[in-house]
Amino acid sequence: MLEVTTDWYLTLAAILFSIGFLGMMIRKNALIMFMCIELMLNAVNLTFISASKHFGQVDGQIFVFFVLVVAAAEVVVGLAIIVSIFRKQSSASVDVLNVSRG
Amino acid sequence: MYQEVKLELIFLLPIFLPFLTAIFLFLNKKLFNELITNFFTLNSALLSFAIAAYSFIALALDKFKPVNVELFQWISNPDISIGFTLDGLSGIMLILVTGLSFVIQLFSTSYMEKDENHCNYFVYFNFFVFSMLLLVMSSNFLVMFFGWELVGLSSYLLISFWSKKPAAAKAGNKAFVINRVGDFGFLIGLMIILDTFNTFDFYKILQNTSGIAESTITAISLFLMLGAFGKSAQFPLFSWLPDAMEGPTPASALIHAATMVTAGVFMLVRISPLLQHSKIASLLIIIFGLITALLAAFSAINQFDIKKVLAYSTISQLGFMFIAIGAGAYVAAIFHLVTHAFFKALLFLGAGAVIHSMHHEQDIRKMGGLRKKMPITASMMGIGTLAISGIPPLAGFWSKDEILASVFVNGGIYYVFWALTLGAAFLTAFYMGRHWLLIFEKDNGFEHSDVTEAPKAMTRPLLLLGVFSIFIGFINTPFFHGLEKVLHVTLENVEVTHLPKGITLVVLAVLSIGAGFTGLIIAFLLFGLELHKRIDLKKFKLESPINLVKDLSSNVLYLNKFGNLFFVSGMKNLSRKVAVVVDGMLIDGSVNFLSTAFNKSSKITSTTQTGLVRNYVVYFGLFLLLLIALFIATPLVPR
Repeated sequence: MLEVTTDWYLTLAAILFSIGFLGMMIRKNALIMFMCIELMLNAVNLTFISASKHFGQVDGQIFVFFVLVVAAAEVVVGLAIIVSIFRKQSSASVDVLNVSRG
Repeated sequence: MYQEVKLELIFLLPIFLPFLTAIFLFLNKKLFNELITNFFTLNSALLSFAIAAYSFIALALDKFKPVNVELFQWISNPDISIGFTLDGLSGIMLILVTGLSFVIQLFSTSYMEKDENHCNYFVYFNFFVFSMLLLVMSSNFLVMFFGWELVGLSSYLLISFWSKKPAAAKAGNKAFVINRVGDFGFLIGLMIILDTFNTFDFYKILQNTSGIAESTITAISLFLMLGAFGKSAQFPLFSWLPDAMEGPTPASALIHAATMVTAGVFMLVRISPLLQHSKIASLLIIIFGLITALLAAFSAINQFDIKKVLAYSTISQLGFMFIAIGAGAYVAAIFHLVTHAFFKALLFLGAGAVIHSMHHEQDIRKMGGLRKKMPITASMMGIGTLAISGIPPLAGFWSKDEILASVFVNGGIYYVFWALTLGAAFLTAFYMGRHWLLIFEKDNGFEHSDVTEAPKAMTRPLLLLGVFSIFIGFINTPFFHGLEKVLHVTLENVEVTHLPKGITLVVLAVLSIGAGFTGLIIAFLLFGLELHKRIDLKKFKLESPINLVKDLSSNVLYLNKFGNLFFVSGMKNLSRKVAVVVDGMLIDGSVNFLSTAFNKSSKITSTTQTGLVRNYVVYFGLFLLLLIALFIATPLVPR
């Protein structure tokens, strides 16, 4: 029987982060991109917790709570923005919103 | 002691009364009509003259012991304070300025009648009188400098009073700018004085001249001399004065005859205890005075503007005063200043009356034969002409003779100076005789049917000044040294050149009278009897030299053109080059380069800002990778 070590969790977190990042890079639906951000945040949370477990300290777990709170606040703001984008152009694509290009 | 305190307070009144009048009139100028303005300004002028006369008498009873009043001390080290002084020298100027100011204002009420800026004229006029009094009554160089600058300002205002005329506006500018050249010298002189003496007070400076190196005294004298040259229109800074004739004629009478232009003479007499120690400065003053006297007299002989002749004559007479100062005859300089103030004010006001009656025609070629139309003006102008020509016993004779004798008595090279001064005196008589004859005698074929005698408000001041022009010379004759007594305390430590005694004086006097008479007679022969028309000039081959003289005279030896070419055009070209090279290429170029560099670089970098979120995420990821690589390469915790 294989033992599940800290490395496994870290690897999983890295994979999750990469998937989130890749999604950010290739998708243009604002809602999907938002989900990718959540994915990355949770990958980071997983890293914190596994490191906390590995070193036997609670610092990482406290950080995770902070991240959760910030993520919740961000969801509120982000969803509001997405709703307003949707109202404006009846699609959630962000590629049209390139007015701030140089 | 009680009396002194009273005098101290009283002699400040004539200084500040014109200032208050100026402010009062300025604030109420919309409210007052001409009559009320005249009432206030004339009464104020008369009052300040009365107080000035009272102060002068009180001073005379006290044997001309200087009265100082220090209003307050501004800075204690160096010792700078605001103060005034009343001594023989400033007392004379006080009486002269307030007295002439009253007479000329009386004349102005008529001359400036129905002018749209009637009230403004009197505001400027009173302000000018205040500035001049500030200048002459000061007890230190600082207050004198204030007066000096304010006189420049108010003369600018008066010269360009009719600023709608472009020539008047230009003349005001010219006067102001050329005066600045002199003021620059004055200012540097003041800086050296402060550095050397650590004070500005006349008394403290002029009593302590013995321990100072002669080079320092020479430097001070030379720079102050430059200031005096600017204000008193001496060569080479004289060309503003003829142009300044664009102002109202009474203002010209006050500024360019009686007061402002004498500021330089006054100042040099004031610093005479310093000046006597510097032989170089004295020599330069007499040389420049001589050049000015001859040049201006020469220029006056072929002018056709009634006021320009008088303007050049003023410059020439100021040259005489500078000659006197250079020869060490400070009393003679002040004496000539006083007599000249009266007869030149008379001549200018007479010219004003003529201009008024001729409906602002100033060309003397279009006048002629006015004697029968304007008998009072003609006779008064005649007195002025005789006085300035040095015909005894009129005022000009005594002062001019005293200057000539003082130059002569110095001996050596001064004999040459004396001969040249005599030549200038001859020229003076000649051009003044021509001036009078062309205006009042010679028939130029013009009818002048509508020309009448000037109004009483004009002829009365003329009569008054005419009487003074005859008798003012008696204040200082070889038999009665009145002015010398007045200036005795002021020039206590100064070696004043005294007149020669006995037969020499008589011979010199006869020569100077001779020069005057010869000038007048030649003028009469040429312009009264028109002798030159009866002689065939071509037979003597005189035509071209005479035309050359005429041409040179009316163009002032082409000095104006030379100055224009050399200083104005040269400066313009230089500044144009500076504008193109330094400003256009260097400064503008560098600024423009900087802005284009920023513009171009930002254009390049802004292409990365695509506006697409995905691209930003890519940048973000790339930098994250870079950061991770950095972490791996450099461990966070140092071993």
